[in-house]
Amino acid sequence: MKKNKTFELSMERGDLLPLLLMLPTLLVVFSVMVVPLLYGFTLSLFDVGFGKRISSQAFLGFSNYIKFFGDTTALKAVFNTVSFSLGAILGDLVLGTLCAVFLLKVPRFLSSTLRPIVTIPLLISPVVVGLTWRYIYDPRGILYWILGLVGLGIEDFPGVTSASTALLSTVITHWWQVTPFVIIVVTAGLLAIPEELYEAARIDGAGAFTTFFKITLPQLTKVYTVILLISGVDTIKVFDIIYALTGGGPNNSSISLSIYAYSQAFEQSDLSYSMAISFTTMAITFLIFGIPFIRHNLAKEGRG
Amino acid sequence: MEINYKVKRNLARLGIALFLALFVLWTVIPVYIVVSNSFRRTIEMKHMPPKLIFTPILGHYEKLLTLDRFGVYFLNSSIISVSVTSLTILLGSMAAYGLKLFRSRIGKRISSVLLLGKMVPSITILIPLFVLMNRARLTGTYAAPILALSCLSLPFVTWLMTGFIADIPQELIESASLEGCARMRIFRIIILPLLKPAIASAAILVMQASWNELLFSLQLTNLSTYPLTVGVARYVGAVSVDWGKCSAAATITMVPIILVGFFMQKYLVSGMTAGAVKG
Repeated sequence: MKKNKTFELSMERGDLLPLLLMLPTLLVVFSVMVVPLLYGFTLSLFDVGFGKRISSQAFLGFSNYIKFFGDTTALKAVFNTVSFSLGAILGDLVLGTLCAVFLLKVPRFLSSTLRPIVTIPLLISPVVVGLTWRYIYDPRGILYWILGLVGLGIEDFPGVTSASTALLSTVITHWWQVTPFVIIVVTAGLLAIPEELYEAARIDGAGAFTTFFKITLPQLTKVYTVILLISGVDTIKVFDIIYALTGGGPNNSSISLSIYAYSQAFEQSDLSYSMAISFTTMAITFLIFGIPFIRHNLAKEGRG
Repeated sequence: MEINYKVKRNLARLGIALFLALFVLWTVIPVYIVVSNSFRRTIEMKHMPPKLIFTPILGHYEKLLTLDRFGVYFLNSSIISVSVTSLTILLGSMAAYGLKLFRSRIGKRISSVLLLGKMVPSITILIPLFVLMNRARLTGTYAAPILALSCLSLPFVTWLMTGFIADIPQELIESASLEGCARMRIFRIIILPLLKPAIASAAILVMQASWNELLFSLQLTNLSTYPLTVGVARYVGAVSVDWGKCSAAATITMVPIILVGFFMQKYLVSGMTAGAVKG
């Protein structure tokens, strides 16, 4: 309503400046994302390896996708990717929330020293993190020395060497790296909660736990939605940490969709199947997170 | 009752202190181990618990620089991440201003649509991009990783800048405009200076992401353009891992970006929370 009165920066309809300003960005996104996506989807419908060009004889239709759903390794990768995603996010959220809440309860000089220290892992390259943790999980490394102090040995937690715990080991490593992200975002969320809410609770005589569950957590819903979206999308693409820590092994026990697609392309030279795997990964991401993601962005627009 | 309450409160404090102490240890120990091992003799590394006092040696770093060209990798990482950061900030802030100038609401929608690009797994773009860039003879040049990594960060930077530009008071822009300022001049003398905090946030986030990126760099670079992360990854595949060299390589890769992050902590935090709390 008021809009008509405000001064409009853009002029007549034929105004090209806005478009001109956006052109370089759109051009980069178009040539490096949109074109490869279209080309990649075409590849997935054929039988193409490196050095071969798309030809009509090699047309397969959707059989690469059908193959995916009958391929036990692929299904294992789907299961692993989803487990990794759930385990990683759950741990990040619990650890990160506890840390953020506790850091606000200690004296200021202490929390302002500790906060930069605990954010260090976030700045380190996942491939370096993977390598570091490979060293931590070494049978003669520090982890087993610490476990030895409390009477546990490698048979209790075989780490990256056994198929039963390899994926869990990558999840733990992810906790180490990404918990600080949750600390940062939740801290900001906690600071945004109006003080009056806590005062009201105090007057009502609510204890620490009641206050946390009845006031703090509900107030953090929006913050958690954003963390879930960002971490969810990131963990479904997981590549680096697993690549450096276990390489997907032993015996494919920790293989993720990205790792499987990578090995199909660059080790088996089966570009088409690799593309079918990665498009399925993308489809899974959109199925789970696409709608909440769009809704979240639109809701924000409505308010802003 | 009173005593009971005090005991409870002190127990809670003790619990919090203990939790935080353990959390700090869990964060710091892996970093300490890698950095300190890069200065230890290989035999001393297997000594548990690690000795806190030891005579540091530089042998592992010497090997990295003389046998494995880590000096070149370091330079490559710097070239790539600085170029990606400058390019995305320049293009991203221009695009965000363009979106602001759009008369209709469609402009704002575009930045949300661009953000959907975040949902595309890197691997899905990498394989076709690799084939296409191979044909264009771009693999092995700096342009290949710079373009690819810029594309990964551009949607986010544009979106971040759009949010910050929306916060600039409309009156400020109007008054400049009424005084006859051209729109590009308004961008240079009013918008850009006000965007400084947003630019700093975008800079540290993009710098961090491109310095640390592995997947694209693995395939789009060659021996002369390898960044540090690929140098590290090449050790991972080795049959027997030389932990001395690995630790030194890991240290060279992580220390610079940790330092940058430390100095830009404030902007790192505001960039990460922009989406979650402000929106």
